[in-house]
Amino acid sequence: MTDGEAVGARERAREDTTAGPTRRRVARGLLSCAAALSLMPVVAAARPVPPAAGPGGDSFDETYRGRHIQGVRMPEAGRSTSDADWRITVDGRPLHLMRRADGTWLSMVDHYTSYRTPLEAARAAVDELGPGQRLRELAPGPLGGARPGSVLDVVEHLGMDMGGWHGVRA
Amino acid sequence: MAYVRKNVAALTASERRRFVNALLELKRRGEYDEFVRIHIAYYAADGETGLRAAHMAPSFLPWHRRFLLELEGALRRVDSSVTVPYWDWTRDRTTTSVPWTGDLLGGNGRRSDQQVTTGPFAYAAGHWTIREGVTDGRYLTRDLGRAASPIQLPTQGDVDWALNDGVYDVHPWDSTVTRGFRNKLEGWGTGSGSASWHNHNRVHRWVGGAMLGAASVNDPVFWLHHAFLDMLWERWQRAHTSHRYLPAEPPGAGDAQRGRVVARYQKLPPWDDTPDRMEDVSRIYRYA
Repeated sequence: MTDGEAVGARERAREDTTAGPTRRRVARGLLSCAAALSLMPVVAAARPVPPAAGPGGDSFDETYRGRHIQGVRMPEAGRSTSDADWRITVDGRPLHLMRRADGTWLSMVDHYTSYRTPLEAARAAVDELGPGQRLRELAPGPLGGARPGSVLDVVEHLGMDMGGWHGVRA
Repeated sequence: MAYVRKNVAALTASERRRFVNALLELKRRGEYDEFVRIHIAYYAADGETGLRAAHMAPSFLPWHRRFLLELEGALRRVDSSVTVPYWDWTRDRTTTSVPWTGDLLGGNGRRSDQQVTTGPFAYAAGHWTIREGVTDGRYLTRDLGRAASPIQLPTQGDVDWALNDGVYDVHPWDSTVTRGFRNKLEGWGTGSGSASWHNHNRVHRWVGGAMLGAASVNDPVFWLHHAFLDMLWERWQRAHTSHRYLPAEPPGAGDAQRGRVVARYQKLPPWDDTPDRMEDVSRIYRYA
């Protein structure tokens, strides 16, 4: 996505408490991120890349437990937020990271723990990948079954008498 | 008449079979994978922008309560006798106790690739192909107890630490708060290492494999785990009757959390329900 679109999406998210989930926007964004990643070897060749960036580094490129992990911090131009965007790949496949409010990172593979740096999060993801398994791009997919409805629909589906329940604290 | 959710250890052989068969039928129809996608889609982290409905937020508990009801409704359309059982991980704590038995969820993943090879959800049984996973593996994975770096399930003491906090949640309503029942149960700690994962998060980590990732719903133990957390929320409500879901009102103008958390009377996407409405479900189900 362009910076303009990214900013627009973020502003909409701030203003609208019923905004759709971040992940869906992210998933859409990943399509263009994949395009960005295909350019990454060119970018890497055009400037010196430190072998493994610690906290504060802008990129890393290493082999960890037989897996090739690469990460590049994306430019933040045009963004009003302070969160940096990283593009991480494991054996060439995108690994999406999320950021916690305390500044730590978690990955799609390991969603219930967070790590100090993108590199640590990427290594932790590799730790969990079984032999022969590769990351898979999670398609946004239709959310047809996520019926925006009421719990009363569930009650109705269950064929229950909902008398009284509707009025609870209403 | 409310239906009853039981401890999975107390289910009869017939109840176990019917619960498993209803899950397999949802999977066969393609409905189950929709639940996996919903959970992935609504996982938003607090260091980013946008509304957090499901995690790192006060609505962690009502969101999952509503999500469980959606799954349970789907199961009961298949078999009206079925309810979601809960797994009390403070009591059933080993890799061979319930629910890790051949007539329920099957056992641990094998050492070589974490693949679950026993029970109804084993790939070879032909009924549980992973289609919405984080990796391209088509089989369910588990690493019970985390073989390479063992951890223990939370204890009754860990649960009590959360239950004894009489405040539901505190500002800034995210993963950094160190007080309040919600995050003590959800389990985001400070620092790194095994001491920093509490209750809910620690159990996801103890099960490992699919349960550790964004697509954790692929392991049906997800529902048994969250039913237990839901029961703990109900227990907390009974123990602290003068306390309710917080925040009661949306954060004010100038508050960084404005638009990022669901207040008591706001809608809980993707549903029309509010946390207020989810606080009392005694007309729908109760725990035994």
